[in-house]
Amino acid sequence: MFLSFERARLSAAPQTPKKSNAALAASALLILAPFTLAQKAAPANVTADLPAGALQAKATAACLECHEARIILQQRLSKAAWTKEVDKMTKWGAVVDAADRDALIDYLSANFSPDKPAYEAQQTSASTGGTGKASK
Amino acid sequence: MNSRRDFLKQMSGAALVAGAAPSIFTWALPQAQGVEFPGEEGMILRSFRFVDLESPVEYFNTWLTPVPHFFVRNHMHEPAELGADDWRLSLGGEVEKPLTLGLAELSKLETHSVVNTLECAGNGRSLHRPQVPGIQWGKGAVSTARFSGPRLRDVLERCGVKPTGKHVMFRGLDEVPGKVPPFIRSIPIEKALDAGTLIATRMNGSPLTKHHGFPARALVPGWIGAASCKWLTEIKVLDAEFVGNFMSTGYRLPNQPVKPGDVVKPEDTHPVTALSVKSVISGPSDGASLRAGKVVVHGTAWAGEADIVKVEISTDGGASWSSAKLGHDHAHYAWRLWSYEWKAGKSGDYTILSRATDSQGRTQPATPVWNPSGYLYNAIDQVKIHVS
Repeated sequence: MFLSFERARLSAAPQTPKKSNAALAASALLILAPFTLAQKAAPANVTADLPAGALQAKATAACLECHEARIILQQRLSKAAWTKEVDKMTKWGAVVDAADRDALIDYLSANFSPDKPAYEAQQTSASTGGTGKASK
Repeated sequence: MNSRRDFLKQMSGAALVAGAAPSIFTWALPQAQGVEFPGEEGMILRSFRFVDLESPVEYFNTWLTPVPHFFVRNHMHEPAELGADDWRLSLGGEVEKPLTLGLAELSKLETHSVVNTLECAGNGRSLHRPQVPGIQWGKGAVSTARFSGPRLRDVLERCGVKPTGKHVMFRGLDEVPGKVPPFIRSIPIEKALDAGTLIATRMNGSPLTKHHGFPARALVPGWIGAASCKWLTEIKVLDAEFVGNFMSTGYRLPNQPVKPGDVVKPEDTHPVTALSVKSVISGPSDGASLRAGKVVVHGTAWAGEADIVKVEISTDGGASWSSAKLGHDHAHYAWRLWSYEWKAGKSGDYTILSRATDSQGRTQPATPVWNPSGYLYNAIDQVKIHVS
């Protein structure tokens, strides 16, 4: 059920370190470093978290069982649209307690409504080319 | 399930090291900024799981897209294990002789190549207002490659399609999470028997990578990407269009224009098939500051099953238009690169527009045609720049 690529990725990936003074110093050095060294800079996170809130844990359990948080973070939807999504996903196997349905819809609507700032996507590392800038 | 929990637990505590790097580093360290994703270079990360990667428009400057820059759209998890030796493709349904083929048998069939621009039906979805649910693609869920493999019709002829065969269904090996309906769709028999429709095993001369459907995918040229099923495992000839979520509910457009909030009955919709006419400006970049003088505006344009006949550029917000020069490389189902030399005079802010017209007489609309799932966005493209 779970993507084997991710298992492979996990075992191969170094734990991403906390941002420290050492890391900052290393970053500062990299600006003077040869190209090959720059390629070894620490990668950004492969997963993202849902926002804090009373429903964060339940939403994480219900939604991220099948897909990661970015799929939610990038949406900007009305409450009516979130209601449709939650009901569709529940039909498709998301485990949402009937008592939590309305609160889950409220949580998603409050955090990912059309008036929120545009989502800024990350980019994958580039060994050649690419702008390196996050894009909308 | 434990592995997933462990994965989340280990990853949730990890700090985001690269995302907040000062902009001064950007020029020197583009490769230090991103999420590590072997084989996928500088791609916009719409989703890690499932894998959904968008090409930055700055990559739209080669006729063939290198595979590491080719957009990736998955609906579900990729198949866990796929051995070339174990893989089998079954053909059945409304045929005289059902068949099962391995990769070796498939490779013995006559190979054909088609240069095809593949575009996700939802490309540009994020530009619709009001916004609609789905992967929020910008402009880059589109790429072009030379796909090679046997023609689907050669394989179907070996099976002998019965007169009752009207549609051809593709099933992939996507791993289905929860109770999500499987990703199965069908195409009409006429398109299946078209000389351009392939069982593709190669892309730009190399075997398909896993993200692009190894060991074999359907290649339905000129049509939305969803028609070109990846990790193909079953082809079934049906007497009618396949009935299932991704055919009967998803990937359909209203027969008549609708407004946000309108209720659209399923019988008032039709499947999305061929791509629209569309152009994208790949340079200068949106928000760029340029010096007055010669500026080369460049980009690409495509039209599904039709040919691009002209691309026009406006540098005055649409008051006047001039023809761009179309690139030398062209093929029936492939995009056409274009360029336009503009003499940027007075300093100030400019909006540059691009508008493509195709051999069916279709032209990009000034405003997007909104629809509930945000398919086939193809409004006139624009970038805003500053000249000083």
